[in-house]
Amino acid sequence: MSKSMLRLNLNGQNGEYAVADNMLLIDFLREVAHLTGTKMGCDGGECGACTVLIDGRPQLSCLTLAASCAGRHVETVEGCAQGGRLSRLQRAFNEKLGSQCGYCTPGMIMAAEGLLRTNPHPTDSETQEALGGNICRCTGYVKIIESVRAAASGEPL
Amino acid sequence: MEYLPDFKVVRPATVQQAVAAYAAHADARYIAGGTDLMVNVRRGIVAPQTLIDIGGVAEITAIDAQQNGGVRIGAGVTLNELAAHGLIAKEYPAIAEAARQVAAPTHRQVATVGGNLCLDTRCLYYNQSEWWRVSNNYCLKNKGEVCHVAPSGSRCFAAFSGDLAPALMVFDAEVEISGPNGVRSLPLSEMYNDDGAAHLKLEKGEMLTAVIIKSGDGWRSGYAKARVRGSIDFPLAGVAIALKRQGDRLSDIRVAFTGTNSYPVMLRKTEGLLQGPFDVDALTALLPKQITPMPSTFYPPGYRRKVAANLTRALARRLFEES
Amino acid sequence: MNDATPLRGKPGQPMVGRRAPLIDGIEKVSGRAKYTADLEHTDALVGRIYRSPYSHARILNVDVSKARQLPGVIAVITGEACDKPYGILPIAQNEYPLARDRVRYRGEPVAAVAAVDIATAEAALRLIHMEVEELPAYYDVDSSRAPGAVNLHDDRPGNLEREVHHEFGDVAAGFAAADLVREETFECAEVTHMHMEPHAALAEYDVERDRITLHSVTQVPFYVHLRIARCLDLDESKVRVIKPFIGGGFGARTETLNFEIIACLLARAAGGKVRMKLSREETFLTHRGRPHTRVKLKIGMTKQGKLTACQCEATQTGGAYGGYGIVTILYAGALLNAIYDIPAVQYDGFRVYANRPTCGAMRGHGTVDVRHAFECLLDTMATEAGLDPFQVRRANLLKAPVRTINDMEVTSYGLPECIDWVEEASGWRQRKGKLPPGKGLGFACSHYVSGAAKPVHWTGEPHAVVNLKLDFDGGITILTGAADIGQGSSTILAQVVGEVLGVDFDRLTVIANDSRITPKDNGSYSSRVTFMVGNAALEAAQNLKAILVSAAARKLAVPTEEVECLGETYRIAGQQGSDISFKEVVTEALVDTGTLTVKGTFTVPKQFQGGKFHGAAVGPSMAYSYAACVVEVTVDEVTARVNVDKVWVAHDCGFALNPLSVEGQVQGAVWMGLGQALSEETRFHEGLPLAANMLDYRVPTIVESPPIEVKIVESIDPNGPFGAKEASEGALSSVIPAVANAVYDAIKVRLLETPLTPERIMDALVKEERAKKRAPAAGGR
Repeated sequence: MSKSMLRLNLNGQNGEYAVADNMLLIDFLREVAHLTGTKMGCDGGECGACTVLIDGRPQLSCLTLAASCAGRHVETVEGCAQGGRLSRLQRAFNEKLGSQCGYCTPGMIMAAEGLLRTNPHPTDSETQEALGGNICRCTGYVKIIESVRAAASGEPL
Repeated sequence: MEYLPDFKVVRPATVQQAVAAYAAHADARYIAGGTDLMVNVRRGIVAPQTLIDIGGVAEITAIDAQQNGGVRIGAGVTLNELAAHGLIAKEYPAIAEAARQVAAPTHRQVATVGGNLCLDTRCLYYNQSEWWRVSNNYCLKNKGEVCHVAPSGSRCFAAFSGDLAPALMVFDAEVEISGPNGVRSLPLSEMYNDDGAAHLKLEKGEMLTAVIIKSGDGWRSGYAKARVRGSIDFPLAGVAIALKRQGDRLSDIRVAFTGTNSYPVMLRKTEGLLQGPFDVDALTALLPKQITPMPSTFYPPGYRRKVAANLTRALARRLFEES
Repeated sequence: MNDATPLRGKPGQPMVGRRAPLIDGIEKVSGRAKYTADLEHTDALVGRIYRSPYSHARILNVDVSKARQLPGVIAVITGEACDKPYGILPIAQNEYPLARDRVRYRGEPVAAVAAVDIATAEAALRLIHMEVEELPAYYDVDSSRAPGAVNLHDDRPGNLEREVHHEFGDVAAGFAAADLVREETFECAEVTHMHMEPHAALAEYDVERDRITLHSVTQVPFYVHLRIARCLDLDESKVRVIKPFIGGGFGARTETLNFEIIACLLARAAGGKVRMKLSREETFLTHRGRPHTRVKLKIGMTKQGKLTACQCEATQTGGAYGGYGIVTILYAGALLNAIYDIPAVQYDGFRVYANRPTCGAMRGHGTVDVRHAFECLLDTMATEAGLDPFQVRRANLLKAPVRTINDMEVTSYGLPECIDWVEEASGWRQRKGKLPPGKGLGFACSHYVSGAAKPVHWTGEPHAVVNLKLDFDGGITILTGAADIGQGSSTILAQVVGEVLGVDFDRLTVIANDSRITPKDNGSYSSRVTFMVGNAALEAAQNLKAILVSAAARKLAVPTEEVECLGETYRIAGQQGSDISFKEVVTEALVDTGTLTVKGTFTVPKQFQGGKFHGAAVGPSMAYSYAACVVEVTVDEVTARVNVDKVWVAHDCGFALNPLSVEGQVQGAVWMGLGQALSEETRFHEGLPLAANMLDYRVPTIVESPPIEVKIVESIDPNGPFGAKEASEGALSSVIPAVANAVYDAIKVRLLETPLTPERIMDALVKEERAKKRAPAAGGR
């Protein structure tokens, strides 16, 4: 088994890890870094539950090799809260019920986070477009759109 | 942990290194965004011993306007970059529309032009787990002897399902290919075979490095795709059209399809459409002999045939009227 | 304005009726929530299942010898590991966790491996071989029921799992009294839950103590507990079942599932801990979804639109094993009633075995496909009779309270308000028939039970038990066996308890569930938790409140009647300055007794448990929810794709304990209905699933999903906690016919098959066009 040293910035912290060439980013996050917030929902590339930010852009960690993230910034749902305080987007998903069973939520929040960083005030259809690869089976998406809208608005959360 | 076969990853920085790395390793595959290949690796459909990750090859990631009015698109350009590119969106709407309709934004973030053009063909009997395929005695495309789509046939009928190819083909795209024997180029439409099991005419070790399209000046173009959902889905049928109008006639038209055959089809015999006032029925009349979906997808060929014709009719009309 | 206000027990500020975020929402949005696959497993072996490549075969031999010899393989088990059949219904247990003697569907577990890592486990699976004698396989009811077909189960001739023949009222007289009688046959494709979390289990066997602990994704930990004990031949006290966070269920996890038992058998065989994570494909194979159903329906109606009789024949392709099948086929008939006033109803149901993964309970269990057929045919007949579809429904409303002809008690009935609202909100009167070409409006109604009145396992115990623990710290722990699977049941129970006690929400913690700690509960199925467990929580809170009031009375030295409770402050009624704090009351309450543990229970009274006839146990509930729905669609003339532009839905949930949550549940139900209406279906190639992935099993994406406007109708049920009824299932079955009716309105073609995929719409349009060409309209211009 071929292994190499992986240096990357994970949720703001620089780190160095020995990882096998054939290790997926999702397995690195869950099994090596013990960040289990990132979820596996399908057999590869079909559901979006594993979405994380790589250099600020949403990507599927289930199709990404960990080693390909060398030198990059990887952010997971665990990295959103600051000092234990939920991010605005997390707070909105909680308060507007954008999360029911919660399994798609980490991926959904990361995809939405990626959107808001490049487009802080998206229209609903821009939100729908950006979250198009993230399947949710509970909400019917209505309250997910409301959550993103609330996070992007100036309203107190 | 997910099960993945053991493989080694090599990360070349140049095309030359990539080609050399391929030659130096047995059973190697190039990988860029991985949105197609990694899925197949995870399903045990392919198990290369070495992956040549060309994600770090900087020289294939640019979009450059050419002096003669065309555009050179690096094979490593991602679909999101392509869709958002000002020149592409302005002069080549078909390409931007096709890129925008591939899968979902999280795929397009890493999926590349080269990857979409070299997309493996897809089939109900192929894109399945190892257990599934074993239980079905495999198939002609993968370890088996029979094509379950057409058991009496002699070839594989998996469908080519990349959105980008037809949109590039209507701009007379040429592809630039690097390999152990140097660099060559050929028309994109000639890069494919009509065989789902061997649809790419690439030699061993060859990699696609760029696509060069001709000037879009004077052309009106668009891409239309049939899919059930508003995102994620592969095309059940996709059509790209570029046309030039002169009064009530066409002065030129190019039409290409995806999702219907084992290769992206450049519609032939369109010369006749240039005679007399534009007749959209004459255009769709060309389809039955050339656009031949087989039962390789969840939805039956009858629908894909019909919708290909409908999409063609509606898109051609729109482009003609907008011209 | 802040949508979700933090819950504080301020006087005059009720805790119920509030738009409260989920009590465990912070864990979910922060990524801290631990689902089964997230649990610590460093010392766990990897469990993997070898699945049958055959649809139907007699097992001659399962050779696991090579797999056993592979270094790193700790245990390999086959059907020999367990000779106790299991199944959700005590009367229909005909499944083994690992097949013995016969396999009946492709994907059925045959052997299982526990190994030190994934690569070894996978390698071991490749070394397992089975020798079989293949048998004819049947994938649909017609071949399975054909004369001479081999029986899947020896005790079920003709592959008929169950037939039901019910007649209430005089059906012949009803049809004779009708002015219009129509009959139609509908085919509804099989669908599946596709909860986002793939199945997973973590089983730990304690060799020294002969005990097993299972963490699993179940909706009903108590059934799992029973089945594990039975299949492992263990005393029930030696089993512990823990439910971590669950990523949805929708009915899939109301049965004990094979992988849960296999994980335990493997853990015992390996003498340790086994982690089993199923792939998405395996999760699809485990199935238990809504069966393919053929509904042959005949309705009689007067000129005024009054229903006179209904005759329904439902045939379900149930799959390889019994599962919940008997209940499904009974629900399909029972719920023809209790929504409209129909004087005579005949029902013939056939649950049929076939060589496909087993079907089971799925959101709207049993009623969905029959309701679809009913609401579609009613629409067709209304058009034919020149009546408005709203008028037809209004002509047949029930008047609560009423006992139906099949002995179901309707005590609250908000359907009329639901109908009024969707008519108004959708602009039906102004817009129907005046939309541009390709657009249409459709309407339908539905209902569902708020908990099955008879539990699956009848023991004489109450139907629900909730314990409350109040200790020195003033924290109140709600202990419940009801599984929160994402639907928010823990939040609802906390709101109920908080409302009664008047305490801050932050004081409340819900533990759900761990069989060592929480009281037994019948589980999260049939939308029973809010109603039954909510009532038990209500009683428990009242019991605790009585203790606190007594303590306050002692402290204040007044009789209990004179104690006034203002949230977390107690005082002598009306007397300012006499305030004592919650903390002081708790301290007083604990004197001499220490930690307080109180209990509340709930039992559905006999009167609501149905009639005396065979099969009467399924359908009765103490309360029914009602829903009405209008859908607006556009049918794309190029692709024949149906786009749903907007949905208006009104749902009578009795009382919205948490309106935010009710909206979320109703929207989710509506949307799941849209998936079944438009794109979701399983298909098979000789028993191999063609859509066991999330590309081909097409649940809608956010892009094409429409706005869903929800109106909560509150009929205040006399028996529900604060008047509440269910909110998460009832609306689903109105959506599919509303879509079909809207599509009919748009293209004037009635499709008898669901889902209404582009392929089917295109076929229908092409056929229609051809028919028009063959028979040009007479006259014309």
